[in-house]
Amino acid sequence: MAGTKFGFFDANVRSINLDVETPETIEGVLHREPSLLKCIGCGNCAAMCTAGHFTDLRFYRLNLYLKRGLVNEIRKEAQNCMLCGKCQLTCPRGVNIRHAILLMSSIRP
Amino acid sequence: MNQYHPFILPFFIGFLAMLVILFVRYALWFRGFSKENRKRIAVGLFTTQTLLAIKEVGAEALLHLKIYRTNPVLGFMHMSLAFGWFLLILGGKLESWYFTGDFTNPVWYAIFLRYFEPDSTHLMYHGVFLFFMELALLMVLVGVALAFTKRLKKSILRIKNTTRHNFGNKMALYALWLIFPLRLLAESVTTAAHGGGGFLTASVGVLIPQSWAVESELYFWWAYSWSLGLFFLALPFSRYLHIPTEMVLIFLRRWKIEPASGFNPDKGLQAFEVHSCPGCGVCLDVCPAINKTEIAFQSAYFVNQVRRGNGYEQTSGMCLNCGQCDEVCPVGINLENLRHQTRSKIFNQASFNHSWMPGSMVFWRETTEVVLFTGCMGRLNPQTTLAVKNLLNEAGVSFIHMDEEESICCGRPMMLAGAAESAKKMMDRNRENILAYHSKVLVTTCPICYKIFKDEYNLEIPVLHHSEYLWQLIDEGKIVREKSALQLAYHDPCDLGRGSSCYEPPRKVIDSVGQLQTLSRQREKSLCCGNNLGSLSLSENERQNITANTLKVLTLDNPDVVVTACPMCKKTLQRQSQVKVTDLAELLWETHPSNSLKFSKKIEKSRFLAEVK
Ligand code: SF4
Ligand code: SF4
Ligand code: SF4
Ligand code: SF4
Repeated sequence: MAGTKFGFFDANVRSINLDVETPETIEGVLHREPSLLKCIGCGNCAAMCTAGHFTDLRFYRLNLYLKRGLVNEIRKEAQNCMLCGKCQLTCPRGVNIRHAILLMSSIRP
Repeated sequence: MNQYHPFILPFFIGFLAMLVILFVRYALWFRGFSKENRKRIAVGLFTTQTLLAIKEVGAEALLHLKIYRTNPVLGFMHMSLAFGWFLLILGGKLESWYFTGDFTNPVWYAIFLRYFEPDSTHLMYHGVFLFFMELALLMVLVGVALAFTKRLKKSILRIKNTTRHNFGNKMALYALWLIFPLRLLAESVTTAAHGGGGFLTASVGVLIPQSWAVESELYFWWAYSWSLGLFFLALPFSRYLHIPTEMVLIFLRRWKIEPASGFNPDKGLQAFEVHSCPGCGVCLDVCPAINKTEIAFQSAYFVNQVRRGNGYEQTSGMCLNCGQCDEVCPVGINLENLRHQTRSKIFNQASFNHSWMPGSMVFWRETTEVVLFTGCMGRLNPQTTLAVKNLLNEAGVSFIHMDEEESICCGRPMMLAGAAESAKKMMDRNRENILAYHSKVLVTTCPICYKIFKDEYNLEIPVLHHSEYLWQLIDEGKIVREKSALQLAYHDPCDLGRGSSCYEPPRKVIDSVGQLQTLSRQREKSLCCGNNLGSLSLSENERQNITANTLKVLTLDNPDVVVTACPMCKKTLQRQSQVKVTDLAELLWETHPSNSLKFSKKIEKSRFLAEVK
């Protein structure tokens, strides 16, 4: 657990194990919404998001979580979305964010 | 008088089998009705609705008037097949009654009457019967020929036909093609053998040598009987199940059966709806996305997939929910609802939690004329919001902009995704927030919000789209504009037009400042901008194809400005348009005498940019 000190915190030490295959659930999401691979992490989606104003939801981060297989974080944040679509309209890469969030919030551990 | 021959057996067995199977299937579907719905049937059965339903069955299931109105050739094909066959059955029964004086003669006797009674010259009026029957036969034959060419043309033109034919479909189709030509042959051969016959069979009969006809007559009757039997046997397992089911559906609808929630294509109303679709394809031509996507997802295919039980997972998420197919479907299937229920099944694992939503803690409540709600998409169109505010000020109307700060989504996008429960929570919170203000009317600039406010919110105050409210202000003389020579093309947003039947107010507003153009697809037939929130999974490329096509229609007559009344449509069209795209509120504000000079400069600039491009 990262400990909070003086307004900043240490991230957990993590390693990426390339021997472990990408879990099927994650492959499934990417397969059903391939536009996720086009995201450039510009952050427009989070800047527009009302839910993100009140909660931790940041879509570009969800996308990173997905690729890292952080299923629990995804579920915790994705459930705040209203599917309103503001993010999608501002996305310069045409990512189908609403569909992606529906798929993400359907992931079961 | 002999009324039996073994050759009738294939027909008779197939016919009986069909009746039994249909009865069992319908009984199972009926069991899926809720208690309330069963009560509705019991009550409705003895009202005039039942009579009206019978009339409708005649008009739609036999004459197919609705299909005829949208596509005369297709309508004629369906009409000649269904109505012609009906006339043959009716005429056969009457004729056999006339012959025997006994109404209760066996079913097959009427069907194969010409075999049992080849020569009817000894009877009065026999010519009338003959003429009538052969006219009906000719009508059906024309229908069959049309159906045959339609299929042939499709394969020649290589139209992608994703409706894969299963075994039942194929068997029924081939049998259906054969039935009537075989009937013609059998009757003609009998005529050649024994004389008699009407204008059709007699003229074919002349070509057949009599000795051969006497010998081979029976083979043709056997073949005719087999084709009938196979068709009836295959019917409950093929798409032709739509013929009887459509009729039942008409009654159910007249009895005001309510759709149940949930995805149940084998239960209750949904089962009857899904199995009523004849695949007529009327929904294909009108769909804004037809031939613009990699996979065809239109209702004709979608309903078929639901019926088959696979493939719909992908296609249901692609549809834009523009409502165009709902508008034209001659069977009146509630396609939008079917899609929502399908989505609710596909995403039934998705869970949302909106406990973060801001509440309605208001310490000071102002009483005001208008509560203005601009919605999520309004946040991306500050220009439109500003224009509306300026106009309200110009007219001297007091208002409160309730979602100036962060706001909650109206819930419709959530509903379109099939998550009705979560949508309901958002709606409840929004309702509280809206009613926390004391106002006379709620005005929204977003058709998406407008539709759900009107249909689902049950607010105590009237809900108006800004086009309606602005027109009211113009009508009352609170906003005054001079009509200019500007050429204006109006794009009907799906949720405002087809969704909420609001066609006139925006047109009147536009007409008061300029010249409204007539478009090839407008009002009920207008095309979706390509970005309706109903679609979950269309790719960016596919959306752009749709937008490009819509823009083509909008700009055909070189308008100065394309006007719309939806922030989503505006943004979407704007991205790809060479012509200036604007909301009608902006148009109205910019044509204010103090702004009009600036406005014409803006139009000039956008024209110049388009030329440079
Ligand atoms: S706006 Fe689009 S490209 Fe930018 S971070 Fe969000 S999803 Fe990625
Ligand atoms: S759809 Fe979800 S992620 Fe996108 S802006 Fe709306 S609430 Fe935020
Ligand atoms: S959904 Fe309606 S319009 Fe489309 S094929 Fe079926 S019956 Fe025809
Ligand atoms: S709702 Fe619109 S996009 Fe969807 S299938 Fe019907 S016509 Fe096509």
